[in-house]
Amino acid sequence: MTPETRRYILTALRIGLGLVFLYAGVLKISDPKAFASSVAAYKVLPYFFNYLVASTIPWIEALCGLLLITGYRIKATSGLIAAMNAMFIILLASTIIRGLDIDCGCFRQGGDKTSAWTAIGRDVIFLCVALTIFSARGDRRFSTR
Amino acid sequence: MTPNPSPGSGTARPACVLGRKDSYIMKKHHKKLLLEMVVIVLIGVAAGIAFNFRLLRDAATGTFSRTEAGPVIAAADGASMNPAPLAQARELLERNEAIIIDAREGSAFSEGHIKGALSLPIGEFESRLKSFRATTPVHSQLVIYCSGYGCRDSYMLGEKLIAHGYGRILIYEGGYPEWKDAGLPIEGAAP
Repeated sequence: MTPETRRYILTALRIGLGLVFLYAGVLKISDPKAFASSVAAYKVLPYFFNYLVASTIPWIEALCGLLLITGYRIKATSGLIAAMNAMFIILLASTIIRGLDIDCGCFRQGGDKTSAWTAIGRDVIFLCVALTIFSARGDRRFSTR
Repeated sequence: MTPNPSPGSGTARPACVLGRKDSYIMKKHHKKLLLEMVVIVLIGVAAGIAFNFRLLRDAATGTFSRTEAGPVIAAADGASMNPAPLAQARELLERNEAIIIDAREGSAFSEGHIKGALSLPIGEFESRLKSFRATTPVHSQLVIYCSGYGCRDSYMLGEKLIAHGYGRILIYEGGYPEWKDAGLPIEGAAP
């Protein structure tokens, strides 16, 4: 693969992942109470913290998405997205182990239920993309800045 | 500590110094990266808290926001509709200080419900209101539940009851699934 092709692929991945996170964040920002319900369904946090997480996580997602799209602080942002996805995967796996049949609450709240397995599969892809961007070297425009 | 080059190894010292320098640069780079991540998280958290300040305040104090509850709350003088966590709902029911109401469909109620709950499905509200009012005084403390977090029927029923004069309403958001999972008393469920 030529460096030029590699650069284009990395750019496409970066912007694609950024758009996904921006979309996910904005959807949840628009209805924090519904997202709090989704968070509560995981049954891992005390009552108030469901609201606190629902109020803050979407903003971090949207901010990360925006930073990835604009190409500012790519390494830190992709690292953060990878960490968030790893956390989501662990949480979703825990729902399978605990036998909870809940909607993942990843994007639009309510509506058709997304199974934990589907959500894990999606998050693994996002994690791989984030790690690819994070570990990209050799081109300052696409790696560390 | 200054490295001690072994006798005769002319290249040992520069290599060692370079390694340390690399390590220092790497550490500095990692620290910077970590700092950037922390700053991004803090900005997101600050924006989220600022944007949702009222919601968080209401959740912390157990006061349901009027804007969230809709205009029905404002119309009923002195009426309140607050979310209640499991512990609060349990305490009220154990002390017999509240009437528990199931807002789910009759079929769901038949398959299992919180012990002592009255069935008042949101879809049959109008037809059942008369008999409900005959047995439940308007000043009663009501705890309404449905199918757990994400289920809006309990809130909708609460609004309807407020419109009909009931003023002390708690919404047990965890609903039947949480209550059952906690091993608390239920009725009607198959063994």
